[in-house]
Amino acid sequence: MTVLASPSRGASLWQRWRFHLSALVLIAPIVFGPAWFHQNAFFDGKKGLGQREIGEIAVGPWSVRLAEFKLSEPDAEGRAGHAKEFALALCPACVDQVKAAYLRVGKPRNLRTAGALFSGTPYRQTAEMRVPERTTADDELWLTLEGWDGTLHQATIPIRTASPVMAAWLEKRGRS
Amino acid sequence: MMGLRRGGLIIATIGAVSLFIGAAWAHPPFCICKMANATTVSCEGGFADGTGVPGVRLDVIRYDESVVLQTKFGPDSTVSFKRPDGEFYMLFDAGPGQSFDVDYKDIQ
Repeated sequence: MTVLASPSRGASLWQRWRFHLSALVLIAPIVFGPAWFHQNAFFDGKKGLGQREIGEIAVGPWSVRLAEFKLSEPDAEGRAGHAKEFALALCPACVDQVKAAYLRVGKPRNLRTAGALFSGTPYRQTAEMRVPERTTADDELWLTLEGWDGTLHQATIPIRTASPVMAAWLEKRGRS
Repeated sequence: MMGLRRGGLIIATIGAVSLFIGAAWAHPPFCICKMANATTVSCEGGFADGTGVPGVRLDVIRYDESVVLQTKFGPDSTVSFKRPDGEFYMLFDAGPGQSFDVDYKDIQ
């Protein structure tokens, strides 16, 4: 008489639940697919410059469209403190004239301290701007554009205009 | 039954999270300066992702933009120097958009 060995607990569980697992593999893309496509479209720029467009800002002879990349509080960046991401698009006429765009909290002392450098195409570039510890909701963001001819032009944007979410976060941080 | 449901949820969560792993974020620089003793300032530099900055430039500059000292971070991403008199700031400069200025008032 042959005695059949009973399957191990793991093999038994696998036999019993493999159907459910395969169903999960099919269901997961259906459940998470729309969020994934939405996120992909957002990163591709098909959903606009950012989650909240700030508007057209004149910077000397040029202009840019500025947006909050994500409609959220500044991100914690470990020992680097907090940072907030913004997106920018150069005006079509100034695409060939602007070499670089920088953004920071407070007036830069010089070009080396102009802040976060925007990177990407002229039509949609992003920068992760540092939020210094002493920043208050009444401070201003300074946007610096550097031309290929070496000229510098600057514009200021109150934090309350640039990002009400960030202003509220700063006020909350200031109270605590 | 509950354990397997929990396992399924974990797998689904890992799957969902992995969808967003491709999003890469910048890692801003930082520079923390402290008084090592009564006369010496010690600064530590780096990037938020833990990258060190050995050999990266640190300038000590007066408010009138005259450079007091040009130095570099050591192998341990720290640098020490004698504190200048008056008003100044320290500029950790790892290239355009990768700089970090620390005012003398922010020396801890």
